[in-house]
Amino acid sequence: MLPLCSRVLLSHPFSPMSLMALREQLNMLVNSMYIEGLLDQQFQQLQMLQDASSPGFVAEVINLFCEDAERILTELTKDQAVVDFQKVDAYVHQLKGSSSSVGAQNVKLACIQFRQFCEENNKDGCLNALNVVKHHYYLLRNKFDTMLQLEQRIQAYDSKQQN
Amino acid sequence: MSMEEVEGSHGSMFEGGVEVRVLVVDDSPVDRRVVEGLLKRSGAMFQVIAVDSGKRAMEVLGLTEGKEAEQPTVDDPKIDIILTDYCMPEMTGYDLLKAVKEQSCQKPIPVIIMSSENEPQRISRCRAIGAEDYLLKPLKTNDVLRLRDYARPAALSPKTGTKRKIAIEMMAENSGSERRPCLAGLAAA
Repeated sequence: MLPLCSRVLLSHPFSPMSLMALREQLNMLVNSMYIEGLLDQQFQQLQMLQDASSPGFVAEVINLFCEDAERILTELTKDQAVVDFQKVDAYVHQLKGSSSSVGAQNVKLACIQFRQFCEENNKDGCLNALNVVKHHYYLLRNKFDTMLQLEQRIQAYDSKQQN
Repeated sequence: MSMEEVEGSHGSMFEGGVEVRVLVVDDSPVDRRVVEGLLKRSGAMFQVIAVDSGKRAMEVLGLTEGKEAEQPTVDDPKIDIILTDYCMPEMTGYDLLKAVKEQSCQKPIPVIIMSSENEPQRISRCRAIGAEDYLLKPLKTNDVLRLRDYARPAALSPKTGTKRKIAIEMMAENSGSERRPCLAGLAAA
């Protein structure tokens, strides 16, 4: 049986062991996102821009991206019976741009493919491409949600330690 | 749509000693924030004003389309550099560039275009009417560090002191002959 002090440390929600576990979880999550192609080097650049003077920078950019992406996807999902290829292309161009700025690689690549179908005035291609973009976006968003939750827990622990 | 006014890192002095006021124009909230983050983090003392349209930019610059500034911008410049996206609804970055360069003041504000598209024709068009540079998105740290080179020489003058002012003006003059603005990412034909 472990000594009492060790049992207390392991069970305490803010024990050093759980903080390490949180950081390990976060690192593994982010690494897996790079390996699976969800993120590219641009996301690394965003991480490098975060510092003590701007501790919530990455979270802020992620939230802006998600709001923007969902606005665009909502617009693209309207009125699928008639496709205005120029209008659709403009929206997809916007989403391609913001996904590129965030480092959302799979979403960006799906947008590039989508634009190709727009250029060809290929309605079925566009409808399929929209589903692909949505698939990649919502997969990414789920992972971003987990990432931000882990970061919040880590920051909460750090704040508690400083007080 | 909104105008965001963002202060740079005040209070910290760097070797140049002067803030460069950058007007960032981009309809994408994500890109505005990322560019702002790059500028603030670059250590090159940028004060950032971010707006979401060409029309808002014209308001900040004190311009109305087709008219000149009511107050001269040279003697009391609010903005040292304009960094604008190319593709924006209603008023594009090209339209904004044209409006700025059509001002009859002696030294129009430098304008740098940002775009995700590496299109030689677009780049040529922008350069032909006076764009100082054309940067490919997403911007990198090196891109924003170069912006200081494009700031007007008066903007690089320190607020106090004369020796440093002379040195900086000489640097600005000399750098003009050596610097060859690079069209980032332009693929050789």
